[in-house]
Amino acid sequence: MDEILTNRVEDLRIKICSGKVKSKDIVKACFAHIKKIDSKIKAFLKLSEENSLNQALQSDDKIKAGAKCGFLEGVPIGIKDNIMVKGERMTSASKYLENYISPYDATVIEKLKAAGAIFVGRTNMDEFAMGGSTETSAYQKTANPWDIERIPGGSSGGSAAAVSAGMVPFALGSDTGGSIRQPASFCGVVGYKPSYGLISRYGACALASSFDQIGTFSKTVKDTALLTSIIAGKDYRDPVCEPKEWIDLHNIDDLDILRALKIGIPKQLLDYKTDVEITKHFNKAVNKLKLEGVKIVEIDVPAYRYVPALYKVIMCAEVSANIATFDGIRYGYRSPNGKSLNDEYAKSRAESLGYEVKKRILFGTYVLGAKNYYRCYHQAQRVRTLLINQITDAYKKCDFIFSPATLQMPVKFGETLSEECDIFLIAANLAGLPGITVPCSFTGLGVPMGVHFMGLRFSDAKLFQVANAFERISEFDVNKYPTL
Amino acid sequence: MSKYETVVGLEVHMQINTKSKVFCECSTQFGLEPNSNTCVICSSQPGAIPILNKKAVEAIVKTGLALNFDINKQCTFARKQYFYPDVAKNYQITQLDMPLCSRGKLTITIDGKEKVINITRIHLEEDAGKLVHEIGSRKLDYSLLDLNRAGIGLMELVTEPELRSPDEAFEFLNELQNIVEYLGTSECSMEEGKMRCDVNVSIRPVGQREFGTRVEIKNMNSISGVRDAIAYEVERQKEVFNSGGKLVQETRLWEAKEGITKSMRSKEGALDYRYFPEPDLVPFDLPDSFIEDLHKQVPELPKARKARFIKDYNLSEYDADYLTSVKMVADYYEEALNASKDKKSSTKLLANWISTELSAKLNASKTCITKSPVSSQNLTKLISLILDGTISGKIAKIVFEEMYEKSSDPQKIIKEKGLTQISDESTIIKICQEAIFENPKAVAEFKSGKERAIGAIVGLVMKKSKGQANPQLVNKILIEKLKD
Repeated sequence: MDEILTNRVEDLRIKICSGKVKSKDIVKACFAHIKKIDSKIKAFLKLSEENSLNQALQSDDKIKAGAKCGFLEGVPIGIKDNIMVKGERMTSASKYLENYISPYDATVIEKLKAAGAIFVGRTNMDEFAMGGSTETSAYQKTANPWDIERIPGGSSGGSAAAVSAGMVPFALGSDTGGSIRQPASFCGVVGYKPSYGLISRYGACALASSFDQIGTFSKTVKDTALLTSIIAGKDYRDPVCEPKEWIDLHNIDDLDILRALKIGIPKQLLDYKTDVEITKHFNKAVNKLKLEGVKIVEIDVPAYRYVPALYKVIMCAEVSANIATFDGIRYGYRSPNGKSLNDEYAKSRAESLGYEVKKRILFGTYVLGAKNYYRCYHQAQRVRTLLINQITDAYKKCDFIFSPATLQMPVKFGETLSEECDIFLIAANLAGLPGITVPCSFTGLGVPMGVHFMGLRFSDAKLFQVANAFERISEFDVNKYPTL
Repeated sequence: MSKYETVVGLEVHMQINTKSKVFCECSTQFGLEPNSNTCVICSSQPGAIPILNKKAVEAIVKTGLALNFDINKQCTFARKQYFYPDVAKNYQITQLDMPLCSRGKLTITIDGKEKVINITRIHLEEDAGKLVHEIGSRKLDYSLLDLNRAGIGLMELVTEPELRSPDEAFEFLNELQNIVEYLGTSECSMEEGKMRCDVNVSIRPVGQREFGTRVEIKNMNSISGVRDAIAYEVERQKEVFNSGGKLVQETRLWEAKEGITKSMRSKEGALDYRYFPEPDLVPFDLPDSFIEDLHKQVPELPKARKARFIKDYNLSEYDADYLTSVKMVADYYEEALNASKDKKSSTKLLANWISTELSAKLNASKTCITKSPVSSQNLTKLISLILDGTISGKIAKIVFEEMYEKSSDPQKIIKEKGLTQISDESTIIKICQEAIFENPKAVAEFKSGKERAIGAIVGLVMKKSKGQANPQLVNKILIEKLKD
């Protein structure tokens, strides 16, 4: 692997802007590396080599001419295939959108374009982001770069694997129920889901609108903060995107922060069967934090036990409505076998949507039916409020909630993760809170495991400071790349 | 045969009069190229998010305030799900539990008596697009979809089942149309589809408290069509009862040409809309100041204006009713009146001219009074020329023709055509003498006591003077001469 690819974005952008490193060289190195290893990983659904190189040359020319360059001028980035880039194909890894060309740019894409970033390619994912293994993609299965027999996690498995294997320095993903943080943890990179409403959702193919957030993958917390500073901010095109105050994401170096910090660990962690390796390394991490002066407190959030059920009910309900627009009428796959309007709807969907998507549509349709609404959907919303209240109470005792990112290690293809595996991640989506997973250790399996910090809504800047401080004391070697 | 009472409730949809659609920036302009007035939001592209048009909320709240509604300060939306191509998302954004306006009322006058009709609610929702199944008379073996109308704001008003006859429904809709027109919140023409009305009709034996089986009728395209459809449906239901049959709860279509209702679908086929709160639009509170400001914007309504016209302008009930039933007519009237130097003596004459001459001309050329070729100022000038004796009423009609055709000033016309009334006594005496001389038969009749015979002589004078002789003066002089 080319040395140039081990650059962190914070350094890379300065090197490119000062002319020390040519954008052309880094982009070329990316593609060379992708060509070499992606046949094994299959992180990318589509690459834009020619475009990227042209853009890189333009950036280099701009810099040479002394023109003002963007914050991420000439820096390559991977984009999950459910984010709209004008004129580019966006499949959401579904057969339904196989030939769909985005008619507009997502807000985050607009911002990245303005910053001068280069979109290397579209990363693989679970179909419409439904799944936790990237196996439901209609196109290909992505491998975990640390062990290619194992899943990378999902749904943003392509972005996680690409960053982990050094194919791109960072990438965008989306997180509805752990879809960034779980694969980040499985692949040994930093995965971040912002507070609900910090980053515009405009242009991200909707899964469950009340949980969806665009977020980031990178090798380090600093790069995550840097990327977030570019894409975050109020957007009139997403009415829920209304950060309360502007968050300064540039200055996250505060090593003293751990000294006065109170971190809460959910008592409920003990209720679950956690992988022994994960427990071992998590406890080591807790001890390290203690040594830095962190005060560890136990918090009690009994409603954690309802997380899988209530997430499933609300998420599937919203899925059933959001996916309804994919009906074969205006764009996307239309069955040639339809004999009437309803038959055409049914066949277009039956022939183009995958099993997991259908399952969720059916479940969501069920829980919203007039007979089931109060018993299922309404009840789930009430329990969600209960969970939020309990978490809010817990924050009276601590500044951040700390847990293993997942309760299981990445499984082999075809094996399934338990329903509880991601509950500490999903809780952040249910409560609209920011969460970040940071690599913690390599386990005996040779695969990394990560930890998760969750903060109060819009405490994202402080969350970065804490995660950054943890990264420094973590035994995980950020400079190590998988050998492929 | 027992006597039956008719029970009617109305659901009225009115397109909200705003420049742009309710959840996107597309224009609401009518009659554009199919699908030219669409965007990523109203055509439901992936990643698009609705943005609420505050003007639509204002229009509904204003309408609610004018109809004595309680305004719900919390604004929430729901998704109503059903598959049909005219709703691109396959769900409609509407309001369920908390409409913007609850419990209002409208007073109608029926057989000279006032009756208060309670209105359950007014809520905000989006209009659907249009499906075209035929071009001209050629039936297509496919359907065409036009989304230009999709996403235009609608206010849906639902009455209590308190209307008791087709005429009451007719009066209600007319009065509602008047008020909404006064408010300017909808153009509400049923002919243009800007106002649509579904009717629930049932009958019950007089004295029975329980409601009978209700039938919904759709597809009326005029207010009189609503009246006719109810009248037909009541008769149909009576026949079913009297022949010992049983009514089924169903939806029926009004076929205007045939003048009958036809069954469309039964209650068993009714859809489960799987409503749930719209996650893309966060509930928000309407500030008190917002509602207060709108309260101030509610203009004088037709009933109040009519009463004022009768009181202040000394108009008859009939004239006041005619003038105030359309806001623009009443505005025209008052504009004209305000331009008049002698307001007091002009009120009645002006009302007459508007309700007869002007309205006949406007109707014949299908012109709106706001675009009348005769401006309110010019009509006032004409009226004062009549009042000060410059021209006779008869001449005024000739002048008016010219004014209407050429949009010109009456004084100019009179000057150009030499139409000024002859009020010079010696000139009139001369003409009168000629007329008496030329019509000895009438003179003899008059002298023998047949006073009506004077008419023939007056006619002759007017003919000789080309209608310009002052008729009062002619009368006076003739009587003097004949009685000599």
